[in-house]
Amino acid sequence: MIKVLFFGAAADRAGTREAELEVEDGMTLAEIWPLLVERHPDLAPMRDTLAFAVNDEYARANAVVSAGDEVAVLPPVSGG
Amino acid sequence: MFAIVDGPIDVGALIAGAQRPDCGAIATFVGTTRVDDSEGASVEHLEYEAYRPMADRKLEEIGAEIMERWDVRHISIVHRLGRVDPGETSVAIVVASERRGPAFEASRHAIERIKEVVPIWKREVWSDGYVWVGSQVGTREPATGSH
Repeated sequence: MIKVLFFGAAADRAGTREAELEVEDGMTLAEIWPLLVERHPDLAPMRDTLAFAVNDEYARANAVVSAGDEVAVLPPVSGG
Repeated sequence: MFAIVDGPIDVGALIAGAQRPDCGAIATFVGTTRVDDSEGASVEHLEYEAYRPMADRKLEEIGAEIMERWDVRHISIVHRLGRVDPGETSVAIVVASERRGPAFEASRHAIERIKEVVPIWKREVWSDGYVWVGSQVGTREPATGSH
């Protein structure tokens, strides 16, 4: 089980700020994405704009995620 | 000092905290809520949210980057979350250096990096709906203004 956090526009599109997801060992962020979209279809159009973090640090699509990890779905940042 | 806060930012106190005898320059950047108008509607306020503690750490990393690149003696970066009304401060950057050049350059670098890497998001709340800046997702037609 991993924890998934959604922020900003992604939270809007997901309809929630937090979800738990069952993942298989060795899955990458790229492999987890379809599972997220299956559950939250409105996220799909945002894919190319999104960045991801695993346990509080930016991570690439080929990053491997393990049980207990926290994955954050990050739309383009707009602080300032 | 690097901080993410929920209430008003006291810019004067940040500047006072940067004054030191070995520095002859303090550069300050203050970002404030601007009221944009578009087709009869206008921005009423902004709302910020952050991914913490990642956002806190990214502010510190920007500070470290600056210390490595410029000879500056003091940096404060404070970003506010939640509702920020027109004219109010959402972010303040204060840099002190011996002479003015590094302070100007480093403060510019800090705000540009904040806009690139710090996981903070703002939503413009308009009189006719809202929009997430950068994603153009919301309840009103995408704004056409620049940010």
